[in-house]
Amino acid sequence: MRIRAVFTFWTLVVMAVPVLGQEGLLDILEQEHKDTVPTYVSATFKTTRITYGHSVETRKKGILEIMLSNRFWNTPALQSQSFGVDKMNARIALEYGISDRLSTGFGGSTWDGLFDGYLKYRLVRQRPKGEGSPFSITIFQNASYFSEGLILPDVDDSFSNRLSYTSQLLIARKFGPNFSLQLTPTFVHRSVRYGDIDARNHMALGIGGRYKLSHHVSLVSEYYTVFNPLDSFDTYGPFGLGVNWEIGDVMLQFMLTNAPSMVEDSFITGTKNNFNFKNPNLNFGFNFTYVLHLKRKLKGLKQKD
Amino acid sequence: MSKVNKLFPVFMFFAMFAHGQESARVIARQGQVSFFSYTSVEHIKAENNQVLGIIDLTSGEIAVSMLMNAFIFEKALMREHFNESYVESDIYPKASFEGQIQGFDSGLEGEQTRIVKGNFSMHGVTKVLEIKTKIERKDQIFVLSGTFEALVQDYQIKIPPLLAGNIAKTISVDFRFECEPYAN
Repeated sequence: MRIRAVFTFWTLVVMAVPVLGQEGLLDILEQEHKDTVPTYVSATFKTTRITYGHSVETRKKGILEIMLSNRFWNTPALQSQSFGVDKMNARIALEYGISDRLSTGFGGSTWDGLFDGYLKYRLVRQRPKGEGSPFSITIFQNASYFSEGLILPDVDDSFSNRLSYTSQLLIARKFGPNFSLQLTPTFVHRSVRYGDIDARNHMALGIGGRYKLSHHVSLVSEYYTVFNPLDSFDTYGPFGLGVNWEIGDVMLQFMLTNAPSMVEDSFITGTKNNFNFKNPNLNFGFNFTYVLHLKRKLKGLKQKD
Repeated sequence: MSKVNKLFPVFMFFAMFAHGQESARVIARQGQVSFFSYTSVEHIKAENNQVLGIIDLTSGEIAVSMLMNAFIFEKALMREHFNESYVESDIYPKASFEGQIQGFDSGLEGEQTRIVKGNFSMHGVTKVLEIKTKIERKDQIFVLSGTFEALVQDYQIKIPPLLAGNIAKTISVDFRFECEPYAN
């Protein structure tokens, strides 16, 4: 009886071998693909900013970004001489990818006299379904220095009292080829205080999204809410609605926002205008990013004869 | 009688191996595929060193499969653009080829040049290709190499008018597969 069972088993095995042989060659390769290197979901947001706030994206090693950001708005004066550009704020920054996961940047803003620097590290990268993490997580830390004159008598004016810090945990997921969403728990520490009633530490939560309209154009929006806002003056959550356009080495971002500042601690906790069409509330924003590859991956590119 | 029955599995075991030899296959796990786009404005080059290729030596059938996001570009950002805006590798992660080496003689030592004809699928489009391929055999190793040209337009890859000068209409593709015996 047992011998018969063994006999039957081997007959089946031998019969199965030619059947296995008939499976398509592409099916074999399909199996082989599983053993190759892991793949990560790319271009969750493509640009390092969603609109004004940071996205999970970091630049790859050796990439230098020259970033010019501008915000334009009108003063509430009844008769304005310029169309939408009574005032402007410009931030000029250099941002560099130290490694594929770590990047840094330094910038200066003209209107609010803020000088800022940041470090950003890509902690977790989203992988395709069933292969690993369903999210991307990036940690962000910046420090900014307020260089404008302080005319508040009770403020102890020293270097350290002019610094503010923002820590962010950027958690994003690309839900499909066209849609990405980001949640941004944020902690802001402000050393500059306008009154004793103001808290130094603020907790905020940001939400941002990207929807791809075509191959190179996407619609983006972002909002931050502060749980313990400043008390010495009214502040509003910054909102941004914009269009990102990626063309080769240039990335353009156009947006409407109520935040005139481009530095995290300032636009998250210190936005004085609500988002509406009354002057000076509505800002037109424009970010221009030029991407320079200082380290090239493939060497010896020769022109074909 | 019972002795024969006991030995039967052993016979069958060898029979199985005999079967395995019959349909001999060779596989390349680190096949190289690179493509070039030459225009007066910009030269673009990309390389994929993890292309899989398999050949059935008896029938001359061949299959190739590659992950689009494994192409490495000179500029890191180009890779992102390539995957996201051109070949849409989220939707079409792989490109594959399935075909036949015409008049393939696997027993021939040395070099032979053959036409490989089959279907190439990329970006959801399948095209029939005929590629002149050099096949070199050294013992159990088969090396396949060649070049062919592909029209960007054929694969419904859209180039924005602004970048029309930067990307060539015809892309030249080089490939090299070093195949070794494949064990199941």
